[in-house]
Amino acid sequence: MSAAAVTPPIGAFTAGRRARRSLLRAKWPLLALALLLLITAAALFGPSVAPVDPNRQNLIARLQPPLAVDRRSHRVYWMGTDALGRDVSSRLLYGARISLAVGLVAVLVGGLLGTTLGMLAGYFGGTVDAGVSMVADVQLGFPFILLAIMFLLVLGPGVVNLILALGIGQWVTYARIARGQTVAQREKEYVEAARALGLGHGGILVSGILPNILAPLIVIASFNVASVILAEAALSFLGLGVPPTVPSWGGMLAESRDELLAGHWWLALFPGTAIMLTVLSFNILGDWLRDFLDPRLVAVT
Amino acid sequence: MNLLTDCERRGIRGRMRSNLKERVRDVALLMALACVACAATCFATGATGATGATAASAATATPRRVMRIGIAVDADSLDPAETDAQDTQSIAHLLWGTLYKASSDGKLDPYFAVSAKLSDDGRAYTFKLRPGLKCENGAPLTARDVAYSFDHPADPKLKFTGHAAGFVLPALRYTGTRIDDPLDVTIQFAAYNPIALGLIAEMLIFCRAPYEAMTPEFAASHASATGPYRLVEWRRDDRIVLERNKSYGLPAPPYDDVVFRVIPEASTRTAELLAGNIDIMSGVVADQIDAINHSGTAKVESVASIRRIYVGFNQKAKFSDTPGGRAIKDPRVRRALQFAIDVPTLCDALLRTPCARMATMIFPPNDKTGIRADPYDPDRAEQLLDQAGYKRGADGVRFALTLQTPRGRYPNDVNIALAIAQYLGDIGVKTQVDALDFASVFVPLVRKHDAGPLFLMGSSGASWSALYDLADFPAADGGANYTDFADPEFFAGWQQIEQTHDPAEQAKAVRAMMNVFHERGTWLNLYFLPDLYGVSNKISWQPRADELIVLD
Amino acid sequence: MGLTGLLAKRLLRSVVVVVGVTIVTFATLHLGGDPTYLYVGEHASAEEIAATRVKLGFDQPLTTQYLRFAHGLAHGDLGDSLTFHEPALGVVLERFPATLELTLTALSLALAIGVPLGVFAALHRGRPLDGGIMLLALLGQSVPSFWLGIMLVLFVGLAWHWLPISGRVPLLDPLFAGDWRTAWTNLPQALPFLVMPSVTIAVFSLARTARLVRSSLLEVLSQDYVRTARAKGLSERRVIVHHALRNAWLPVLTMLGLEFGFLLSGVVVVETVFSWPGVGRLVFNAINHRDIPLVEAAVIVFSLLFVSVNLLVDLLYLRLDPRIRLA
Repeated sequence: MSAAAVTPPIGAFTAGRRARRSLLRAKWPLLALALLLLITAAALFGPSVAPVDPNRQNLIARLQPPLAVDRRSHRVYWMGTDALGRDVSSRLLYGARISLAVGLVAVLVGGLLGTTLGMLAGYFGGTVDAGVSMVADVQLGFPFILLAIMFLLVLGPGVVNLILALGIGQWVTYARIARGQTVAQREKEYVEAARALGLGHGGILVSGILPNILAPLIVIASFNVASVILAEAALSFLGLGVPPTVPSWGGMLAESRDELLAGHWWLALFPGTAIMLTVLSFNILGDWLRDFLDPRLVAVT
Repeated sequence: MNLLTDCERRGIRGRMRSNLKERVRDVALLMALACVACAATCFATGATGATGATAASAATATPRRVMRIGIAVDADSLDPAETDAQDTQSIAHLLWGTLYKASSDGKLDPYFAVSAKLSDDGRAYTFKLRPGLKCENGAPLTARDVAYSFDHPADPKLKFTGHAAGFVLPALRYTGTRIDDPLDVTIQFAAYNPIALGLIAEMLIFCRAPYEAMTPEFAASHASATGPYRLVEWRRDDRIVLERNKSYGLPAPPYDDVVFRVIPEASTRTAELLAGNIDIMSGVVADQIDAINHSGTAKVESVASIRRIYVGFNQKAKFSDTPGGRAIKDPRVRRALQFAIDVPTLCDALLRTPCARMATMIFPPNDKTGIRADPYDPDRAEQLLDQAGYKRGADGVRFALTLQTPRGRYPNDVNIALAIAQYLGDIGVKTQVDALDFASVFVPLVRKHDAGPLFLMGSSGASWSALYDLADFPAADGGANYTDFADPEFFAGWQQIEQTHDPAEQAKAVRAMMNVFHERGTWLNLYFLPDLYGVSNKISWQPRADELIVLD
Repeated sequence: MGLTGLLAKRLLRSVVVVVGVTIVTFATLHLGGDPTYLYVGEHASAEEIAATRVKLGFDQPLTTQYLRFAHGLAHGDLGDSLTFHEPALGVVLERFPATLELTLTALSLALAIGVPLGVFAALHRGRPLDGGIMLLALLGQSVPSFWLGIMLVLFVGLAWHWLPISGRVPLLDPLFAGDWRTAWTNLPQALPFLVMPSVTIAVFSLARTARLVRSSLLEVLSQDYVRTARAKGLSERRVIVHHALRNAWLPVLTMLGLEFGFLLSGVVVVETVFSWPGVGRLVFNAINHRDIPLVEAAVIVFSLLFVSVNLLVDLLYLRLDPRIRLA
């Protein structure tokens, strides 16, 4: 039997229709989505349109303000140059790639881990549930940043370790929801039906329960991308972010902290705005997703 | 999810009308409002009250002269036998005296001792103490206390690891003290040591009685002073407060109180300086120099310190497993890389201060070798590399190297490393930069001689002796020889120095050693770190090359 | 299961959490290899290094080291800090009041401003005021905290001279020592120093609380019983305050516990920017220096605080709603 048969109704078709209508009516989520698409485009295609190599230093042309013109090459530094004379706009475009990648992959890692553990805990209950809950509680007992600091100082710097640290820091948020939702779903008729049809636990979980609990998980994921991007900035501030040769918005903002007093505002404005707009968009999108996917609030909003 | 049950559940909850609940809610709300109101009034009175209070006190009391200094890192310990960090030395020298002290231009002047006489066999210094020295409690400070100041850190049972026990006494090869009379003390060491007096000058002198009564744990935060100031309070991570030590008989600085405020964030420190809340700050960020100088409240003073910043080439065998690691074993390659770096531009651009080039290991005022620093000549660098057999490949790369740098330890260290990497990349040596946390990653690597193949490092010398500057390489297996530099010609020079007590002969040996050092490109010489201090316009103060904050 | 039974279960859970936290910390810190090199002088010989390794106990197998630590923990002795040479727990507790001042003030700000804002926004739902408040809240959740801190230092502190830039006047320290009088006289001087750092930490929580209160209140307002109350002719004010708010409060309460943990997270960055002498900076430096006893002590104190706050929240939740079964 095909897996689709076990999925209860709310067809993708009607959901998509509703989404489009809801988006078009509310202007903020639409704006947010447009912005995110723009940022994604920058991440994907930015590097090919970037004016210069983001790591090319030019000590003579350091700390140039925006719209300054390079004396030798007559190129315009649209967003100025940084403390090593690197072009800010190029770094911003390359940084989009890193910041988005770190955000999305970390959320993916945490989401996969958390959802799996949460579903297993909710489905099997008993010792599995107790075990997962205990680990979750222990992790919650740590302020997130301490865990990340310990991880990164011990494992060393690097983009991969950063993603791991950020991902593992948030799995609990997914696990809790996944567990609660799985518990609610496992008594449903379609689960009974699937069992009767001979589907194993794995099959039921993946093709049956998962599609039905995905909605709140996606909402959480959206908010978590926002907080991961902010956490990357904080970790860069503490010196634990991406290596110095890799441009990232959080890293650029952290590097700018000593330049603000000197009046070199562009070093903080551009990456800071980029971070803020991205985070804002994910938050707005998350809000809209939650309102959209929560049937009870349809009457109120 | 079963909608109905949920709704129903919440409906039942809603309909519960417990009086207790209601009252708790109302009380909580009232308390919250009260707190907000209280806070608001407190703040309002506080904002005016604070200024009012200070105005009142200023009018009635004789103003005490306070020197407020902003530092980046808290003291590591205020136990004179235990302190290690360079930054703590400034505080230590305000709390305790020394037998001799180094002046700002590198001379050793009498301080607690009035004279020093080297024994005939060169293995002991006899000091005549100044009469009238006192401990903080007023008891006289005598030769017994001086002896204790040397024996206590050397005590094997207590296992001190600070500057005194971990460096000075072993470097001196201290064997013991002999007391001939209350004002005469002789410090004995195993062999003639040309820098013995300077090393002895680094030992803090403290009183026996109070320190015998304290455990090391207690002594770490409770100091018994012999110097111009005494410890009032050490609020960890916040401030160290000193006040004038009334038992100190010698001429003291004009300040009644000295407060060291610990402010780790550079911009916050500068902001406090500009706001007039601190008078001196250490560790000015290069790019903030203009902002400070144009502020009208403070200015930046700089000094070429005794700290040498260099890139070390690790010669250890384990680095021979890469073409780059093998390449740097060739002295011609090392010299070539030296020509590839434009050090003056590095300094001007990244440190915003012209810096004293490092031609040899020796602090320029003491450098009589006549050796000049290599100029920036990338063409010559490329030539040398070609001659050494490392031609550019099809992709323009000759070989690859990794440059390890601490992060935030030295001013602009990561940016300097990145700039160096680009210079090297431009002559075909593809260099990757690893920025490592100083205390937890970099230092352990360096100590095990595992940092490399290239690593950016700083090493402090002394303002009073060229020989001290060479002390990074006391022997081929020396602990501080992080590059495993093993040239026998160089180390032969030490024997020559030990055999003659004549400074002129020693200078010749030093010149020979430095020639070897230079020719063989042992270090990629960069510069003597220009230390930047922010100084309030209301005071005039000059920084010192030895990084001690001395208030005179 | 009665109240005591639930409480006992919760307590047991908390103990397990604290122990688990210490194990994870221990394991993570030792993952980085032998920390002996951090405790010897620059020119130390091989024998000195070996001697220090034995002195600090790093030569023992990991399990032995942990068991020794656990044994000490059971007797209240967490060992001496390797960097301060003082009892680790003492060092942490010395700094603890400073961090507590920050987090409590931040929490109070978040509640005192966030809750009314959320209620306001919910009541004016759909109108520009609601949109405005919600946009501000979203902005508040989108700003990196260290950047906000530095901005405050440069503008509020330096450019406009409204508040002192860094430093602290102790409030909770004398209070914990029983010296009410000093705490009271210190209060007016201490508050100006407290404002900027607390605000920096509070902004995110404040924004999140406002949004949570708004959505929670809206959800409650859509319930049947509210419609019933309105239908019964009760005034809008009574409906909101006595029926809606009381139940909208509950999710916020649940969040409080987690919010506290989040605030503790923000403390590390803010204490650095404002040079606030608290546990956040202490533990960051301790991790840097692999000062394992100190990190363990700090982590234990943090997690004890966290589980206590959550226990309290659970208790309050139970009191306010005995019908809810805790999972």
